[in-house]
Amino acid sequence: MEDNQKGKEHPLSIVINDAVKIFTDLGFEVATGPELENVYYNFDALNVPKDHPARDMQDTFYIKPARPHDNSGAGGGEPEKVLRTHTSNVQIRYMENFVKSGKKPPFAIISVGKCFRNEATDATHEMQFYQIEGLMIGEDISMANLKGILSHFYKKMLGEGTNLRFRPSFFPFTEPSIEFDLKYKENWIEMGGAGMVHPNVLDKCGIDSSKYQGFAFGPGLERLMVIKYLMPDIRPAYQGDLRFNQI
Amino acid sequence: MKISYNWLQNYFEEKLPEPEKISEGIIFHSFEVESLDKLGTGEKVDWIFDIKILPDRAHDCLSHWGIAKEISMIFDLKINFVPEIFSQVLARLPNSDGQGQGRKTGPDHSKSCIGSELKIQIEDDKCLRYMGRIVKKVKVKESPDWLKEKLKVIGQKSINNIVDTANFVMFDLGQPIHCFDLDKLQSSKIIIRNAKNDEKITTLDEKEINLDDSILVIADEKNPLAIAGIKGGTKAEVNANTKNIVIEVANFNSVTTRKTSQKIGVLTEAVKRYENEITPELCGIAMNSITDMIYALAGGEVEEIVDIYPQKTKQRVILVSINYINKRLGSNFSKEEIESVWKKLDFEYTEKNNEFEIRIPFLRIDLNGPYDLTEEVIRILGYDRLEEKLPEIRLNKKVNKIFYKMLWTRHKLLKDGYSEVMTYSFCNEGEVEVLASASDKKFLRNNLTDGLKESIKLNTLNLPLLDMDDVKVFEIGTVFLKSGEDMHIAYGDKKNIVEISLEKFCIKEFHENSLSNSFSEVLGRGGREPVPDHLKKNSSSEFFKNSFKMWSVYPFISRDIAVWVPEGTAPEKLIEIYKSFGTELLIKEPKLFDSFTKPASSAGGNDKTSFAYRLVFQADDRTLTDEEINVIMTNITNKVLSLGFEVR
Repeated sequence: MEDNQKGKEHPLSIVINDAVKIFTDLGFEVATGPELENVYYNFDALNVPKDHPARDMQDTFYIKPARPHDNSGAGGGEPEKVLRTHTSNVQIRYMENFVKSGKKPPFAIISVGKCFRNEATDATHEMQFYQIEGLMIGEDISMANLKGILSHFYKKMLGEGTNLRFRPSFFPFTEPSIEFDLKYKENWIEMGGAGMVHPNVLDKCGIDSSKYQGFAFGPGLERLMVIKYLMPDIRPAYQGDLRFNQI
Repeated sequence: MKISYNWLQNYFEEKLPEPEKISEGIIFHSFEVESLDKLGTGEKVDWIFDIKILPDRAHDCLSHWGIAKEISMIFDLKINFVPEIFSQVLARLPNSDGQGQGRKTGPDHSKSCIGSELKIQIEDDKCLRYMGRIVKKVKVKESPDWLKEKLKVIGQKSINNIVDTANFVMFDLGQPIHCFDLDKLQSSKIIIRNAKNDEKITTLDEKEINLDDSILVIADEKNPLAIAGIKGGTKAEVNANTKNIVIEVANFNSVTTRKTSQKIGVLTEAVKRYENEITPELCGIAMNSITDMIYALAGGEVEEIVDIYPQKTKQRVILVSINYINKRLGSNFSKEEIESVWKKLDFEYTEKNNEFEIRIPFLRIDLNGPYDLTEEVIRILGYDRLEEKLPEIRLNKKVNKIFYKMLWTRHKLLKDGYSEVMTYSFCNEGEVEVLASASDKKFLRNNLTDGLKESIKLNTLNLPLLDMDDVKVFEIGTVFLKSGEDMHIAYGDKKNIVEISLEKFCIKEFHENSLSNSFSEVLGRGGREPVPDHLKKNSSSEFFKNSFKMWSVYPFISRDIAVWVPEGTAPEKLIEIYKSFGTELLIKEPKLFDSFTKPASSAGGNDKTSFAYRLVFQADDRTLTDEEINVIMTNITNKVLSLGFEVR
């Protein structure tokens, strides 16, 4: 038996560290961002316009405004903050700072963080979950590079026998947009979304989209943990139960 | 959206591939298919696809026509031109109006069209186009069976032949349509205007809705008749007594339709289409289709179309080069391959110096730039055509301080014997509240200590199940305060919990200039031992043996047993007995919690040693009873005694 004196790490942390290591070894820089986010960074800057059905694609937790707005207009002010629905907010915050500091692409970042969706909980969905966000921008970073990087990552995480495939999808902040599946132990498993960063997103951050291009991806990490360790249910991950720390 | 296989077949002369094949084609080239269900038996069999149309394609694919076009492109099948569809639908279905086989269709209303008394006035630019047409002397009756069936398989109720036809055309072409009873209007004038602040309307489902001046309505000279693009009212409802109708095929602003729908809490199939924006160019095709169909199913005298279309939509033209597409995709597609995509999509285009100039069909509102056309190329040629290429790029490695501090802190606490937990960010009270939640916990935590206390309570009860001497836990996580969010750490045990911000904890504990050296070292393994180099290469196989075992939800029972054995007896002997007689219900390795040796002098005879073990029993499928554990313990005791040992 292992040394009893030492504490046991949460399996999600193990997955997160392994994942981040694979990306930092490739030269990705770790980036972070807030969980409580302005509507702008969670939606507008990511090409998700206000009053557009694309905002309904994610069930969003809006934050009750701290001070109700002055009684100008009916119904008080609109919420300005949300619990981030994805880690894609980090893309925007990173790129804005990057441009402000006068630097030029290429760059690549990886960001792991907690996200929130206002939906009922079951064995495969939680209101809070971890996403791993990747972003790589350069002069000729292509969709084939996206496939190469994701394939490299999952082979490192789950073994060389893992296969990757893309399917068409839609996210307002990428074009083309895809969902990707992994073939792991003979089954295809849906892993997450990715795509080429939409030129509007780059332009909004001050990066010239006629010169630079690149990809972004944002799969959930719980799914990876669950298939890697053959877990039947993700809910015990957040119950503070040390029986979960088996790995 | 629900799509019927048989309905799709109407678009093709050739027999469609099997439903599963169709589904697969759609999944890899167009959309996610959420389900495929077989309906009915024998000749009446149909398959229903539930296709997830995302907002980018809701402009043109919330319809059977839209999906048929995708199928035509995926499987290289010739699709029938839309206006032909209706005559074909009607011609192919026997008893289409309940009056006998093979009725002659091909309605000839165009020749008999007579001038119209209909007047249309658009007073607000939220209405982008309004096309109206009067049909007099229609026979409102039950729909023919085939039409009822078509609607039924996609989950729609049949009302009468006029309403059903309007619905059918919407699910067929994606254009919402409404019909009014002309005789219930003040006059033959229709006004599209903003409602007045004190106006009300009773909708077809008998709900009274208060209107205001942000809401666009369709009105006669006196009253609102419908909430534009959302729902009709009872005032001009088409029913069994209706003789003369006005067909409305119109287009309304997507944003205002969506806002109104949310404001009044009415979401209809029409809203789903308008809020995603559809092209006003669709009105003409839809008007022709519904006229054909009404004429065929309800007869009547068809009047001319009255069409108010203040600002005609311009056709978009996009330039895209072969180089742009291949650079973005990292591919090497030839001009011919790319051209084949435009052909499949039925795009009009010209090409000069490897650059295409493409006239985008009106329905494809989603295509705005060369990046959108790049997606068309790769989804149609197939994502499997993309190679996996690692980018050749040199990047500056930089360390993120917040992430580093989290790693460092986790590493330190693990080393100090604390185990990591993660608890929920939501709770019953706090400083920051969400507006609405699917759960009853509407606040965000403002501390980690509360969650940690619960965790310690739970784990203390379960201690015999854990390979630990006592419960020591920590969490690193965000808390939400009035002033904003902050990253905290909390650690503790039964007696005491310390909570502090990550920043403060790290200031006390480390120097930032030591940061870059140890980053990768900490990162690789968290609190675990560093992996020796020879294992690193093979790290995946190392992971496979770490598979997870879900625990039983039933309570466990723990029993202690202490046994005297002659000094020098190996404790393994006892463990062996416990394991073999403990049955599969013994779920943990027996744990030695006490042992001591008594010298011979005081008891006489030889020295003897006492070994006290804790045995933990639990079943996967039931709550264990004391009785069944007593039986096991008796068996163990008997075996121990038979070896001449003494149970204390």
